Parts: sequence; structure tokens; C-alpha cells
Amino acid sequence: MSLTKESKNTLSWSNTVELIDNLRVDEVGLKERVASLATRSIKKDSKLQALNYIVTMCDLTTLEGEDTEGKIGQMAAKAIRPDPSNSEVPSVAAVCVYPALVAKAKEMTRNSNVKVASVSSYFPSGQAPLESKIFDTQFAIDQGADEIDIVINRKAFFEGDYRKMYDEIVALKEVCKSVHLKTILEVGELKTYENIKKASLISLAAGSDFIKTSTGKISNGSSREACYLMAKAVWDYKMVTGFKAGIKVAGGIRDSKDAIRYLVIVNEELGPEWLSPDYFRFGASSLVDDVLKQIKKLKTNAYQSSYYFPRG
Amino acid sequence: MNEIKKTYKNYVGGKYVRSESGKTFRIELKNQFYEVPLTSRKDVRDAVVAAKKGYTEWQKLTPYNKTQVLYRLSEMVEGNSETYQQILQESGLTKSKANQDIKNAIDSLIWYAGMADKWEQMTGNLNPVAGDYFNISHQESLGVVFTLNTEENSFNQLLLSILPSLTTGCSVISFSGDNSILALKLAEDINNSDLPSGALNILSGNFSQIIDDVSNHVEINAMAIYKDLTSSDKKIIRENASKSLKRIVIKPPTSGLESLLPFIETKTVWHPKGR
Repeated sequence: MSLTKESKNTLSWSNTVELIDNLRVDEVGLKERVASLATRSIKKDSKLQALNYIVTMCDLTTLEGEDTEGKIGQMAAKAIRPDPSNSEVPSVAAVCVYPALVAKAKEMTRNSNVKVASVSSYFPSGQAPLESKIFDTQFAIDQGADEIDIVINRKAFFEGDYRKMYDEIVALKEVCKSVHLKTILEVGELKTYENIKKASLISLAAGSDFIKTSTGKISNGSSREACYLMAKAVWDYKMVTGFKAGIKVAGGIRDSKDAIRYLVIVNEELGPEWLSPDYFRFGASSLVDDVLKQIKKLKTNAYQSSYYFPRG
Repeated sequence: MNEIKKTYKNYVGGKYVRSESGKTFRIELKNQFYEVPLTSRKDVRDAVVAAKKGYTEWQKLTPYNKTQVLYRLSEMVEGNSETYQQILQESGLTKSKANQDIKNAIDSLIWYAGMADKWEQMTGNLNPVAGDYFNISHQESLGVVFTLNTEENSFNQLLLSILPSLTTGCSVISFSGDNSILALKLAEDINNSDLPSGALNILSGNFSQIIDDVSNHVEINAMAIYKDLTSSDKKIIRENASKSLKRIVIKPPTSGLESLLPFIETKTVWHPKGR
């Protein structure tokens, strides 16, 4: 395929079409591969390292109508110092909030390396005109967001109007400029594996820095199969353009064991250089609690209660 | 016709489960032997997760409702008393002793069922104070309780190791050793008695293999030891438990209101009287 690169990390629409044309996924092979990766045994020292990785890769998230500045303050404190009883536990990567709370989150994290991510573009449905999405995104950036999580236009995707979905991401990337753009596919709604890979490639071609599995707002959240496919898409995209995109998994990842399995997938399919908060993130609210419990368990040999860890 | 052999399993979170380790140990009764789950440390942890959930569900029931559920358990046990009697006789009890033991067990069940909506007013108190306010001592259940059954072949003793903590609203992980057939059989009646899943979990195995995990586990709020333990075992339990301020009761009373006291905690409430 002959490619004309638009800029460092985008592809023109015609090249994107070539990329997603005749796309097929071997479902049985995919499931077997993912299942076999889940059986890797991670021993004590590696486990501790994996757990620390997970903390540094977490986007501590609260996306509720009931969120208040007080709650964001509490969460930001936890993000900076997840376990007050153990200073060896690193800070998380970012806090993820709604645009209206970005300013507060920014203020609370100002003396730390914790970034502020904001969802935008009418998260979680994305059912709004592009003008509104641009305004929403611009507002979050003006408030100081370091990272923007947008949702793809699933309406356009399911109507077969891939061009519209692509154009919207391009337009929002223009608004973001150097601000990190994460694009949420909502894999639970995309249903088929082909759809997931197709949406991943379109999102990457349109200029996303990260692709993200889910909003966390529907019951079908992230899955290891989706993560595997997205890793494949990221790899394919790197082969074509040389651009290294990241992956964020979110929605329904509650325990350390599950999170470590995601790390195994990324390590096996993309390589260890992806095991960094610059290229891999967990979006979660309760995952950190379990990881902290497990870290303390490895230290004390006693199983812990979340009662003794900070809320957030 | 060939007789179908029964496989007894642990009962955790409302489900019959084998040990995740796949390990079993043999219990020989008079006429047959059974391979029952040898609980691993991981099984204990799973049981704690289930009991934690079960505690919330059991707490949701009103005391009156708890009474009904425990009463229903006694009905279930009575309906199956022949099976219990057979197990007891095969364990070496005479027919009349086995019969008496089951009668005692059903009496215990009914007594604790009746206590479920009464212990709170019997242990709580309006305290005398010198001022215009109420001072109320209100009792609350502790949480997740691990109970270690005696080694006796007695159905009544088994129930007396479970019921005191369960009646106060605690969720219970009951652990038995070589006499665990009775407990594993009881699981079937527990399952039919409307007790919320995870409120009462039954494990079988060798306590010395899990002693560290249980006594260290922060989510277990109390351990009630009804079995005779060596002084070194007691020392291990007390030392480990002290790190998480876990309550340890060794050989607690098994009758009367006193039997419930180890599993409750006092919360004192101050409230102005108003004029």
C-alpha cells in the first residue's frame, strides 16, 4: 500500500480506507491466544513490580452526576499518595473527571506529577452536534486538562458513516493540539471483533494518541480480547506510520489479578516499552484499592481490608 | 442396583465447591469412607470474600426476619434428622445417644432463632446520666467470624459453634476437621433455609494448614475457637490477631445470653432530650 502521511501520526482518509478494507479477525484463534496469556504465573517479586506499575498507570476516575469539588479533592489526595502508610507506593498517572471539575482537580494536583484528564465530546453517549463537542473539549482544555478522553461517534459508526466518525476525531484533535487525546471506542457496544479493530484503526488514523476500551458507563466494559485486538491495531498502525500509540483499558477491571493479565497481553503483543504510563493506562475507580491491598499483603503476609485504605 | 456415592463439598457463598487445590482427605465412618475437601489457604480467602458479602445481606434482614430464617433452618434439620442420625451412628454413637444429640441440636436452633430478635434489647441499655440527654448503649454485630468446631462427633456441638455468632448478625465461616461430614451435610439444609448466600460458609480440612492465613487476615473480625488447641497454636493465633486487632475468643460459652456476647460490640449514642 502506498501511503501519504498527513502529519506525524495521522493518515489521510483514503489511506485509512485501505487500512480498514477487508479487515478480518480470527475469533477462535484470538480467544485461545488471550486465554493462554491469562495462564502465565507471576511470582512474588515480579508481582510486586507489576502492582507498582499498575498504580503508576492508573487514571483514578470519578464520572458521576453527584461529583462535587469535595469529592475531587479527596480523590486527588489519594492520587498523589495512594497509601499514606507506605511512601514507596508511587502516585497514580492521572485523575479523570468531568470538564466542570477540571479546574478543581488541577488546583489539587498542582504540586505533583499527577495529570488531569477530562472526558469530553458529550461523554458517554457522544450524541451531540460536532460544534457542541468542540466547545465541550475546548472548555476542558481551557480549564487546564492535560489529557482529553473523547468518545467516538457510534451513531455514525453503526450507520456506516466511518468518514464522519474519522472527521470528528480529526476536528477534536485540532482543538486538542498538543494535549493528549484518548479516544474511547466503547467496545461493549461495538459487539464484534471486526468492529473493534476497525474503530481502533480509524481512531488512530484520525490522530488519537491513545485508544480506550470503554466509558465504564455500560455493563459490558473492557475485555482482555478487546485489549488484545487494540494492541494488534496499535502494532499494525506502528508498522504503517511508525507512530507509537497507547492503550487505555477501562470499565470493570476491579482486581489486581485481572489487571496483571492485561499487562501480560501488552507485554507479549507490543513489548516491554509499552509498559509505561505513557503508553498504557488503566481507567478505574476501585482497582487501586485492590492493588494497595495486594502490595500490603506482599509486605506483611496478611490479607487486608479496604477499610484501612483511603476512600477516593 | 448400584449405590451412588455421595461427594461432600465445601459450602461457600451459597455454592457447593471443591477445594481449588483439588486436594481431599479421607474420613472413614463405620460403613463407608468419604473424600472431603482439604481446604487450602486460597479457599479460606475465597470464603472471606463470600462472608464479607454475606454479612451485608444478612444485616439487611430485620431481626424478626432473622428469627424466621433460623426457625426454618430448624425445620429443615428436623426433616432430615434421619440422615444426621445415620451419620452420627456411623461415627460411633449409639442410636439413643445420636437421637438425643439431634433433639438437643434442634432445641439449640429454636432457642437461638428466638434470640435473634431479642438479644439486642437484652444487651443494650439506657444509661443513667446527670443531664438533659439520653445515653444509649446499643449493640452491633462484629462482622465476619471464623469459628473452629470441636472434635466431638456431635451435631449439637457443631450448631453451638455456629449459632451464637450467626444469631447476632455476624456472617460465619465454620471450619471442621475429621468430623466434618456433619457440617458438610448441614450445608444442604442451610442452602434450603433462606439464609442469604455467604452468611454461613462451611469448610473442612486441617486447621494447622490455614492457621496463619486465618489469624492474619484483616477482613476476619473475630475468631471463635471451640476446639481444644495446643498452647503454641493459641500463641500463634493471638500474636497474628493482635496485628489487626482481631477479637479472639477461646472456648466461649455455648449457652445462654452469655454465648452471644463475644460477637457484639457496644456503640454508645448521646442524644439531647429536648423540652
